[in-house]
Amino acid sequence: MKKFAIILLSVCFSAFGMAQNLFEQGNAAYAEQNYREAALLYDSLLKSTPVAELYYNLGNACFKQGELGKSILNYERALRLQPNNKDVRHNLQFAQSRIIDNIEDNSRFFLSQWVTALRNLLSRQTWMWISIVAFILCLAGIICYAFARILALRKTGFHTAWIALLLSIVSLLFANSLHHRDTERREAVIMREIVNAKSSPDKSGTDLFLLHEGTKVTIRSTVADWAEIHVGNNIGWIPLNTLERI
Amino acid sequence: MKKQLIIIFTLLATLPLWAEEVSFTASAPRQVVAGQPFQLTYTINQRYKDFRTPDFNGFEVLAGPYSSQSSSTQWINGKRTSSFTITQTYTLMADQTGEYAIQPASIVVDKQKYTSNGLKITVLPPDSQPQSSSQSHNSQSGNQTRQESHDVNLSSDNIFVRTIVNKTKVYEQECIALSYKLYFAGVDVMQITNNTQIPEFKGFLKQEVDLGELQTELEHYNGRNYKTCILYKTLLFPQQSGELRIDPASFEAVIRVRNQTQVRSIFDNFFDSYTNVNKTIKAPALKFHVSPLPAGKPADFSGGVGRFRLTSSISTDELQINEAVTIKIDISGTGNLKMLKTPAVDWPDGFEVYDPKVSNNFKTNQNDVSGTKSIEYLAIPRTSGNYTIPAITLSYFDIDSKQYKTLRTPEYTLQVAKNGNEPETVVNTFVSKEDIRQLGTDIRYIHTDTLPRPKTELIAYGSWQHWLCYIAPFVLSVALFIGFRRRIKENADIRKVRYKKANKVAQRRLKRAKALLKDGKKEAFYEEIERAAWSYLSDRLSIPTADLNKENIAQLLREKDVDETLIQKVNDVLSTAEFARYAPAQSEHQMEDLYNATVALIEKLTV
Repeated sequence: MKKFAIILLSVCFSAFGMAQNLFEQGNAAYAEQNYREAALLYDSLLKSTPVAELYYNLGNACFKQGELGKSILNYERALRLQPNNKDVRHNLQFAQSRIIDNIEDNSRFFLSQWVTALRNLLSRQTWMWISIVAFILCLAGIICYAFARILALRKTGFHTAWIALLLSIVSLLFANSLHHRDTERREAVIMREIVNAKSSPDKSGTDLFLLHEGTKVTIRSTVADWAEIHVGNNIGWIPLNTLERI
Repeated sequence: MKKQLIIIFTLLATLPLWAEEVSFTASAPRQVVAGQPFQLTYTINQRYKDFRTPDFNGFEVLAGPYSSQSSSTQWINGKRTSSFTITQTYTLMADQTGEYAIQPASIVVDKQKYTSNGLKITVLPPDSQPQSSSQSHNSQSGNQTRQESHDVNLSSDNIFVRTIVNKTKVYEQECIALSYKLYFAGVDVMQITNNTQIPEFKGFLKQEVDLGELQTELEHYNGRNYKTCILYKTLLFPQQSGELRIDPASFEAVIRVRNQTQVRSIFDNFFDSYTNVNKTIKAPALKFHVSPLPAGKPADFSGGVGRFRLTSSISTDELQINEAVTIKIDISGTGNLKMLKTPAVDWPDGFEVYDPKVSNNFKTNQNDVSGTKSIEYLAIPRTSGNYTIPAITLSYFDIDSKQYKTLRTPEYTLQVAKNGNEPETVVNTFVSKEDIRQLGTDIRYIHTDTLPRPKTELIAYGSWQHWLCYIAPFVLSVALFIGFRRRIKENADIRKVRYKKANKVAQRRLKRAKALLKDGKKEAFYEEIERAAWSYLSDRLSIPTADLNKENIAQLLREKDVDETLIQKVNDVLSTAEFARYAPAQSEHQMEDLYNATVALIEKLTV
C-alpha cells in the first residue's frame, strides 16, 4: 500500500516537473518575442494545469500577437481563478482600452454594479469559507451570550452573533452567485474582428448593431448555432462560433 | 604737403599693381552654326612676346589673325586710370556639327608664360529648310523680302516659349526645375515687358532661381537654329501626391518690325524705319505625376527628400557642473532642406536643455537647392556623473536609391565633474520631486516564477460537505444549549431572583432579630440587623457585599437617584448598628427604635 502511494506521488511529481519544463520553454519563447510558439506551449499546458498564471501568460502572448479577443478571454479566465491578481487586472484593463466598442450600460442601477464589483473581488471558494467561518463565529457569539456571566462578554457575544450572521448570509449569496456564473458560463468574449448582431437567429435577420473583437457579452439563450446576447442596452443574435465563453 | 605725399604714394602703390596683372582671355560664341563664319578673339592687356595659338581642330581659319591695339588713359578726380589692350582676331568656320574644344593659347610677358582660357564651342547644324529671313538678313534686302518677313514675323514658328522641366514623374518633395525659355529666329526681340503672367504653382513649394541678366544662346531646335533665352526659372517641390497641373504662362515681347511704308526717297531705302510691336506669347501648360513616398516610413522620418549627409561635433567631453555643452550637427546635401524637421537630442536627465539654434545656409542652384542646415543644441548639466548622449538620428528618403535612409551621429559620452568651489547647486539643497513620468503604456510582463499546482478545492460549493460545515457546528451548539439549559436559566434569572428575594431575605433576618431582641441577646441582635441591611443593599444594587462599605454606598445610591434624606437614614442605621455592636450598652428602647427604622428603610428603599 505504501509502495503504491510512493509510486503515485513520484508520477505526480514527474508530470509536474514536465509541466514546469514546458512552462519555462514557453517563457523563453516569449522572451525571444516568439509569441506564437509561447502561446502554443501555454495552451498545451492549460489542459493539465489550469492555473491563473498560465492563463495570464497565454493572454500576454495573444496580446503581443495582436489577438485582442483571445487575450481578453484568457485574462478574464485568469481573473476567475485569482480575482485580485493586480497584474492580470492591469493587463485586462490595458487590453480593454484597445477594444473599439464603448459599452455603456445605463440599465443597471449603480448599487447593483457595486455589489457585482464587490462579489468579483474574491473567488467563489473564498466567499464560501468566509461564510462558513462567519457562521461558526455567529454560533460562538450566541454561546458566549448565553453562558457568560460578565455583562461585557455577553454584550460582545450578542453583537458578534448578529454581525457574523449577516456576513455569513451575504458571502454565501455571493458564493452562490459566483457558482451560478461559473457553471452556467453565460459571459462570453467576441472573437471575430467584426460581428453583425441580427434581430433573429438566422442570416436573413435585420442587422441591429456591430460588435468588435474583445467585447464582453452576456448570453441570454441559444438556438441551434445562434446565441442571443445582451451587451450594454442592446440585445441581438450572433453566431455561436464568433463567441468564446469565459 | 602731407596730402600730396599720400597721393604720390598711392599712385606708386597702384601703378605697379595693375602693371603686374596680366589678363589674357579668349572669347568666342558658345554656339555656332556649321558653315557660318564666326570670330575668335584673344584679348591681352600687356605687351607680350611669343603669341602661340593652339590648333583650331575642326575649324577652318578663314582670316586672321588681325591684330589691333587700343589704349586709353583717364583722369577722374585727379586719379589716373589707363587701359591698354591688344586684340588678336581670327575668323573661323566649322564644317561638322558637334562639340569642339579650343585649347588655351599662350604668351610670354616679362619672361613669364601666361595661358588664356580654353573654349568650348558647340557647332549646330544649319537650318534644314532655309527660311526667308535669317540671321544674316540685312537691310539691303528688297522690298518683297521685307513683306514676307513681316508676315512670318509673328507666327509661332518664329517666336515661342517652351516650358522645360527636368522630370514629370516625381515623388512628393522631390525637386523639379522648371523654366520658360523663349525661342526666336528671324525676328528681333527688343525686350520682354513686365507684363508676364507666371501661373500659381498650386500644390508646390516654389523657390525662384535668380537668372541675373538675360543671356541669349543659339540652339538647334526642330531643325532650325533659334536664339534662345531663359525668361523665368524656378525650383518646385510638390507638396501633395497625385496629378498636379501647371497652368499656361504668358509673356509679352516687344518685337521690332520694319515699316511697310512706300519708298518715298532713296534714303528710305537705306535707312529702314521700324516700329515696335507687342506680342503676347503663351507657354504651354504641363502636368506632373507626383507619387507619394512609399510606405514604411521610419518613426523618426524628418520629411527630407534628397541626398543628405550628417556630421556632428561636441564642444567638450569633460566639464564641470553648470558649464554649458553644445552639440553641433550639420545636415548638408541637396533636396528639400527647408522642410527638414530639427532632429531631437535625447539628453539624459539632470541636464537643463535649451532650444536648439538653427542656422540655414541654402543655395539655389540651376536644378536643385543645396546647402547646410546647422543646428546647435545647448545643455547645462546640473548633476555630476558620467552620461551617454544617444545618437541623433535623421531619416530621409534617398531620391537616388528610392529608399528611406537613416543617418546617425556617434554616441557621445560626457564626464561631468563636481565643481569644488561651488556648492552642488540647487539639486543638493532642494530636490524637486517629480511624479513618475508615464512614458508609454504596455501590458505587464508574463509570470516567470515556478508554475503553481492547480488548487484542488477542499470542499466544493454546494456539496454535502459544504452544508455539513454549517450543520455540524449548529447541532453542536444546540446540544450545548440543551446540556446546559439549567445554567442558562440560572444565568438569565440570577439577578432578577436576587432582586426579588432581597425583601424576603431582609424580612427573614428582621424576624430573627426581633426574636433575639425579645431574648435580650443584644450582640446577636445588632449583628442580625446589620447583616439584614447590608445584604438587602447588596441584592438590590447587584453588588457583592464584600465590595460595599459605608463610603461608596451613599455614592451608589445617589447614582440611582435615591432621595438624600433616605440616604442619610441608611447611613444612620448602618452607623448605629455598627456602633452598638462594639458598645452594647444600649437600652431596649433604643434597640426597638433601630429595629423600626430598619424595617421602615427596607420598605421605603425601592431601588
